[in-house]
Amino acid sequence: MQLPRKNHVHAWLLLMPAAILLIAFTHYPTVTTVVKSLFSKGTAIRPSQFTGLDNYRMMIEDPVFWKVLGNNLWFALGTIPTSIALAIVMALFVNRALPGRSLVRMAYFTPTILPMIAVANIWLFFYTPDIGLIDQILTAVGISGRNWLGDPATVLPAIMVMTIWKEAGFFMIFYLAAMQNIPPELKEAARLEGAGRWTYFFRVMFPLLMPTTLFVFINAVLNSFKLVDHLFVLTKGGPDNASNLLLYYIFETAFSYFETHYAAALTVVLLVLLAAMALGQFFILDKRVHYR
Amino acid sequence: MLQKMQLMMMGLLLSVCLTAGTAAAKQTELTMYYPVAVGGPLTQVIDGMVDQFMAENPGITVNAIYAGNYNDARIKALAALKSGQPAQLSVLFSIDIYELIEQDAIVAFDDVVQTAEEKAWLNSFYPTLMENGKTAGKTWGIPFQRSTIVMYYNKDLFRKAGLDPEQPPADWDEMVAMGKKITTADRWGVMIPSTGYPYWMFGALAMQNGQVLMNGDGNTTYFDHPAVIEALQFWKDLGAKHGVMPSGTIEWGTLRQNFLEGKTAMMWHSTGNLTAVKDNADFDFGVAMLPASKRRGTPTGGGNFYIFKQTTPDERRAAMQLIKFMTSPENSARWSIKTGYMGVSPAAYDTAALKDYVAGFPYAAVARDQLSHATAELSTYQTGRIRKTLDDAIQATLTGAKTPEASLKEAQGVADRLLKPYR
Amino acid sequence: MSRIDIHNLTKTWGTVTGVDQVSFTVPEKSLTVLLGPSGCGKSTILRLIAGLETVSSGTIRIGDKEITHEDPARRGVSMVFQSYALFPHLSVRENILFGLKVRRVSKARQQERLAEAARMVGLQDLLDRRPSQLSGGQRQRAALARSIVSRRQVCLMDEPLSNLDAKLRAEMRGEIHRLQKEVGLTMIYVTHDQVEAMTMADQVILLNSGRVEQAGPPHALYDRPDTSFAARFLGSPPMNLLMLSSRQAAAALDDFPSDAEMETMHLHQGMVGVRPEHVRIGDTGLPAQIVAADYLGSETIVRIRLDDQILFARTGNKVSSDPEARVHVSWPKAAVCLFDKTGRRLSGDFL
Ligand SMILES: Nc1ncnc2c1ncn2[C@@H]1O[C@H](COP(=O)(O)OP(=O)(O)OP(=O)(O)O)[C@@H](O)[C@H]1O
Ligand SMILES: [Mg+2]
Repeated sequence: MQLPRKNHVHAWLLLMPAAILLIAFTHYPTVTTVVKSLFSKGTAIRPSQFTGLDNYRMMIEDPVFWKVLGNNLWFALGTIPTSIALAIVMALFVNRALPGRSLVRMAYFTPTILPMIAVANIWLFFYTPDIGLIDQILTAVGISGRNWLGDPATVLPAIMVMTIWKEAGFFMIFYLAAMQNIPPELKEAARLEGAGRWTYFFRVMFPLLMPTTLFVFINAVLNSFKLVDHLFVLTKGGPDNASNLLLYYIFETAFSYFETHYAAALTVVLLVLLAAMALGQFFILDKRVHYR
Repeated sequence: MLQKMQLMMMGLLLSVCLTAGTAAAKQTELTMYYPVAVGGPLTQVIDGMVDQFMAENPGITVNAIYAGNYNDARIKALAALKSGQPAQLSVLFSIDIYELIEQDAIVAFDDVVQTAEEKAWLNSFYPTLMENGKTAGKTWGIPFQRSTIVMYYNKDLFRKAGLDPEQPPADWDEMVAMGKKITTADRWGVMIPSTGYPYWMFGALAMQNGQVLMNGDGNTTYFDHPAVIEALQFWKDLGAKHGVMPSGTIEWGTLRQNFLEGKTAMMWHSTGNLTAVKDNADFDFGVAMLPASKRRGTPTGGGNFYIFKQTTPDERRAAMQLIKFMTSPENSARWSIKTGYMGVSPAAYDTAALKDYVAGFPYAAVARDQLSHATAELSTYQTGRIRKTLDDAIQATLTGAKTPEASLKEAQGVADRLLKPYR
Repeated sequence: MSRIDIHNLTKTWGTVTGVDQVSFTVPEKSLTVLLGPSGCGKSTILRLIAGLETVSSGTIRIGDKEITHEDPARRGVSMVFQSYALFPHLSVRENILFGLKVRRVSKARQQERLAEAARMVGLQDLLDRRPSQLSGGQRQRAALARSIVSRRQVCLMDEPLSNLDAKLRAEMRGEIHRLQKEVGLTMIYVTHDQVEAMTMADQVILLNSGRVEQAGPPHALYDRPDTSFAARFLGSPPMNLLMLSSRQAAAALDDFPSDAEMETMHLHQGMVGVRPEHVRIGDTGLPAQIVAADYLGSETIVRIRLDDQILFARTGNKVSSDPEARVHVSWPKAAVCLFDKTGRRLSGDFL
């Protein structure tokens, strides 16, 4: 269909604000980042020059890069399934008629509305050796505490626990909304057919929650690469990079070391990773999801 | 929608008129970023001082912007400069000097001072505090919120362990011996923080063992010097061998709380915490110089004033005036009393206010007395990465992942590679 | 052994009473329709029988067994929901087999029963479709198949046809009825569509505000409603209920009443009920005036004003809708029901 010329102009004018925002704040920075990653660090004294893939070569030889990448993988593996499972369990729990239901829902949701920095400050005092809440509880039951954030063996798990605590409540809201969208007759029909709670959950409810799970999963994956606010407060990536994550390393590189060009190269890698994962999820998982 | 636009346009016009108006009155406007790295209501103190300055200098308006910790302040200030927003001066980390020079962001004070009196003023500060502000024969930073590391100790716990509360440990061996007497199941002898600024604490240990970490030109480090390796070995041994300190890393941010709750009898921490400890300790505490190995030693630390390069001569003059005001003996004394940071010049300690304060609270002078044993804080070209490399080496050692020798040699290798172009 | 006995069944939620002392019996292999206005408790009764709601008091028996508090899965009832309650993520086949799989019926048995049920409802070719890919009637049949395949003798249906258009509804009504007879199901069928009730039911139970208003075969409810409520509920347009003086009542009769009959009319202070199809428009009887006439093809519904009351007549003839037409209305004696002041029908009918 041919639109009259006037309508074309109209359409473009209407699209303009969104397009400008998108181009100015998404596309343009992405392109400059890629370009920048091909140049060397420049200062007023030694100007930046084109070095091709040197920054990427440097990355391959950078043990910290590999360390943070590995950490991020563990972090994702450790937080995503657990927080999703926990979110479902919590949503199941508060979806039932129980006294003080809205209070419990609020309680579960609270961590989500707190800023990450505030959350990290709370947990910093949970984890503090000797005087922290966790150690005090452990001491009370006769187990000696430990230096949760000071020990490379426990620091990443400790941060994962906090992240799960923070994320699960958020995901719960999505699951709760999805569960309330499932007609109650489905449960009744299943009950009449002799399906118990577990059968109903696995054969009916969980498959129907799949679109939510996909959405939550993508969010969780992105978050596992995006959420690093807590590192500023809790560990600064330490000890010895044991809790350092890719985005935090990019931040350090750009703003502590002022190696903005190397940081640009790292950013490109992060972008590629995220894009690959998002695409992969849509193409692979989407086939298995039933949308109503 | 249309109304909103109109409102916005009106607001814009209004602000244009306003700025035009102030410009007409020959006002100089200064924007200053400043960080706060220790607890306490320090922003109010700064605001109070700035207000007083503006009252005394009606021609100058100062926007003092609190910008988070040292890292944040540097990022915000540089980002503001890059985006063309005005910032004429800032308090930034003293050790950012090389980075700021390399970014061509700051001017040397030698190029701003004019009168003989001002040149003399440049020399009125403690020389040790000037070390981090000078390089290549010029002065780039003026000390403001400066600190050293001191040892806070809990006299009640000393008494409980049968130790003389007026005799804090003077050397490493004493510290270990006393620590052993004090340590019980729910209390430690000593804690030296190893997150946040591990390289800073380590600067003290290394100097005490007879070796500083870098040269004065900021292009050579001495991480693999035997005395430095030995110092790191000692730090690790405090936890791993002597058992007077928790093993693993110790959190900078919560250490003061640990001390205040009596979980450790001694802590090494910035003098910047002095007032907070004084206000919150419900026990009898003391402050001492850090113990010696071969000698006493501590790095200085904290923030300096810098003047940015993209400024008009008028703005530079105004900035100078503000810096002179903020670091004047009276104000330095006031700042020191309110925070625990050091007075930056001998004259500050000669003011009546600080004299009285020290008389009533002698620990306020410990940092000053320690200055004669102090050195510059680790600061080199590529300082961020080199600092981080040392931090990682320290943490790798303290958590038992690597030996002191291996980790420091590795760190030195990285530093050499990074600094070669600057030699 | 699938007779259903309901005795004094009551369901309350706090102060709300949804079902109030309801008792009835559904003979084996028969179809009972629960009929009544919205909110009268039809669904609730069905859900109580299915075990989806807990009984407040009273008993439910199926066959010889009391199942008042039995687990829903073990009552031997299947249910077809108003919304069908098909599992949207499963194919028709999987939907039908859902219960068999849950109950671990052997694979061979499953296939055998699936084939049989699919044939009965005519869904053989659609087994691999998802519910969203089916029309309303096909979904309905899938739900039906799921209930058939369970081989449970008691089948409960809650307004299964209310989502369908008139034509499909008529078709499905016939199919359900056929299946019920063919399989020999004992069925309780909820509807507020009287046509469904009249055509399918062996027994109709008319409910009003959680109570049984009248129970019996459809023709009995239609011809001899026990109450004015039942009279008004059934039929479209419903039975005319008129306040007439005994003189008028007598004058309206085709056949002149006897003295004894006149006596009854004197005693009677309530209402006279006449079905529209029994109202005759002619030259004798009570003088009246035609207000409107709706021509429906096979019949005409005539609205008539009688003093200040309105009554309907149903007639096969075409009637002029001249609003001023002055006519007379009358009806046969045998067609009259008399109701007392409280709305109960006076026993012995007219006389
Ligand atoms: N869970 C409940 N809590 C309180 N009252 C309820 C509940 N469920 C039903 N009721 C009430 O019980 C009465 C009977 O409801 P029911 O659903 O059985 O009506 P129905 O006859 O099926 O109506 P419809 O023809 O509209 O489906 C209604 O007045 C309803 O408001
Ligand atoms: Mg209903």
